[in-house]
Amino acid sequence: MTARAAPAPLPPATTVGVLGWLRKNLFSSRGSGIVTVLLAVLLGWVVVNLGIWVLVEADWTVIISRAPLYIVGLYPYEGYSRLAICLLLISVLLGMSWRAWPGPARRFAFAFGAVMLFVGVFPHEMAPEHRALLLLNLPFIGLGYVLTPRPAAANPGRLEAIAGGALAPALERIAIFSTPRRMVIAAFVALVLIMILILGIAGVPGLDPVNPADLGGLMINLLLAFFGIVCSLPIGIGLALGRRSNLPILRVACVIFIEVIRGVPLITLLFMSRHILPLTFPEELNIDRVYLAGITITIFSSAYMAENVRGGMAAVQAGQTEAAQALGLRGWQTTLLITLPQGLRNIIPAIVGQFISLFKDTSLVYFIGMLDLVEMGRVSVQGNQEFIDNGREVYLFIALVFWVFCFSMSFISRRIEGALGVGRR
Amino acid sequence: MAESNGVQSAVEIPADKAEILARPLEERDDIVVCENVHKWFDDFCAVRDVSMRVKRGEVVVIFGPSGSGKSTFIRMINRLEEHQQGRIVIDGIEMTNDVRNLDAIRREVGMVFQQFNLFPHITVLGNITLAPQRVRHLPRSEAEALAMRLLERVGIPEQAQKYPAELSGGQQQRVAIARALAMQPQIMLFDEPTSALDPEMIKEVLDAMRELAATGMTMLCVTHEMGFAREVADRMAFFDEGALVELGPPDQIFNNPQEDRTKMFLDQIL
Ligand SMILES: Nc1ncnc2c1ncn2[C@@H]1O[C@H](COP(=O)(O)OP(=O)(O)OP(=O)(O)O)[C@@H](O)[C@H]1O
Ligand SMILES: [Mg+2]
Repeated sequence: MTARAAPAPLPPATTVGVLGWLRKNLFSSRGSGIVTVLLAVLLGWVVVNLGIWVLVEADWTVIISRAPLYIVGLYPYEGYSRLAICLLLISVLLGMSWRAWPGPARRFAFAFGAVMLFVGVFPHEMAPEHRALLLLNLPFIGLGYVLTPRPAAANPGRLEAIAGGALAPALERIAIFSTPRRMVIAAFVALVLIMILILGIAGVPGLDPVNPADLGGLMINLLLAFFGIVCSLPIGIGLALGRRSNLPILRVACVIFIEVIRGVPLITLLFMSRHILPLTFPEELNIDRVYLAGITITIFSSAYMAENVRGGMAAVQAGQTEAAQALGLRGWQTTLLITLPQGLRNIIPAIVGQFISLFKDTSLVYFIGMLDLVEMGRVSVQGNQEFIDNGREVYLFIALVFWVFCFSMSFISRRIEGALGVGRR
Repeated sequence: MAESNGVQSAVEIPADKAEILARPLEERDDIVVCENVHKWFDDFCAVRDVSMRVKRGEVVVIFGPSGSGKSTFIRMINRLEEHQQGRIVIDGIEMTNDVRNLDAIRREVGMVFQQFNLFPHITVLGNITLAPQRVRHLPRSEAEALAMRLLERVGIPEQAQKYPAELSGGQQQRVAIARALAMQPQIMLFDEPTSALDPEMIKEVLDAMRELAATGMTMLCVTHEMGFAREVADRMAFFDEGALVELGPPDQIFNNPQEDRTKMFLDQIL
């Protein structure tokens, strides 16, 4: 402990300025230099032309004047505040995940808050109470945040450092989302409330039932994809376990189900749900097409989920099962406590990927006459002389909306992957 | 029993067993009996005609060249591999396809693997308490108290709340030992427990095993740590090409091997 160790040598500089980077990555040889220049010219040409069109020539009034249709379809205006309350519930959940899972969820909560702020103050036609409800999302994200205790491993956030120790006991007392189980229950309760708020209940004042056929726009794409994924997870797990089971009948039944569903396009399933399935049940049982679409999408998604789960479980090392057996765990205990949880952790990225493609697939419900975002866009253009020339604007807007959702999903998925250490052990 | 001593209370040797352990080795009962055991993988005979009796409290070190069937043999003792011919009796329980026998045997036999095989998705404490809660139906508080005593015994009580990936290899292997001991087995199987470890961690695991042997645990260890074998083993078993070639006390194996193959192998590795 006498002589201090010499300072550790610094690593060599990784880049030698902008020019060095350019030379290394874009102009490493004559061939790659030519490719770089050609691509740059092409890209510049596209960007400039598109930019001129977007900023100068395009007429975006269609988007602004039809925004409610694109977002919530034909949902009755009187119910808009109910939808806004749904957003508040989502805000609480986002705040909760931000606290519990600071890395991946924080940016998502930020982005959600930013969108709410933007729409809330954007100068367009909107009732003041709706604006107020949208802006209320920001404090509600904070509410979800403070109702959740800081994860034991995390450092105190900047907020807490400022609030100091004085507030800490009070914060601890109100932290009701204190265990993973409570968080799951909170999420579940929120989902049920959201369904009730959207669809309404007969006889309850302020919750007048909404005709399911009026659900549309982006809302129906999101609802179908989300409930499709959530409901297909348990079904998919059941199918995957069935496929691994020792009972031949069960195994064969699961395999047939999975392979049949995976072997046909979603659009044919939707068609069958609308036009063939009703032949098999009594006429007075008139299920609305929204529910038919939801059930069909769930079934469709379940088959893929089953294969994901099976793959995830197969990737769990044999040593895990052996260790469980050696400890005397029964086969089903080994599956439920060891293989399944690890398998599910392995497939979180795959589930997000499946959600993304399911979300895009929900645009197929136009086929059974539903007005989802894409179909609403088509109708708003073709059904209206005023906007008949604005197809480009509308479809570009729709593409952008889908892209923003899908991209943020895959962004989160990568962050979660990192946080969970999927791929490393 | 000696309540004051954490080590003793974690092992909980019942009075009748303690009485047996007080006797010299020759006068104890056979806790593992293997008679003419065979095992094939397809047409390949991985274990051929192995007969071995292990006394209660005895430490047997198994060694031999790679592929000689050591792992296969040791894994048959808790039925991770099924023997196809011959007879295996563990503490009086016949190894059959009967689920009840199998459950009883797996309660008697703990196992430690080369790759640790800790459950990565639960904490160290959870790894140790899982089987006692689910298989022995101990209440959670009791299982956790037991787990903490075992972690103290292997020297890492402060790691209880961590996940396995946050531990060094040597620490993970000691958790694996604690996890197996939490089922309070009569017999412990070790399959090359130090082969996946860096040299500086081997000692800490061998020390834990040494201590375990001193409490009178019956142990079957596949290992090439010859220093450990010389010091701790009561007998050593040399396997080659699926057969048990030689079985004897370390003194005989090291100084006066009866079989040429044993001598040749030892000359190679020592
Ligand atoms: N599941 C299996 N399927 C087919 N062959 C196997 C299987 N497990 C082991 N074997 C073969 O049985 C023989 C004995 O294997 P075993 O793992 O018991 O050897 P070992 O003595 O433990 O070797 P090592 O020192 O390398 O661990 C080997 O030739 C191996 O290839
Ligand atoms: Mg082996």
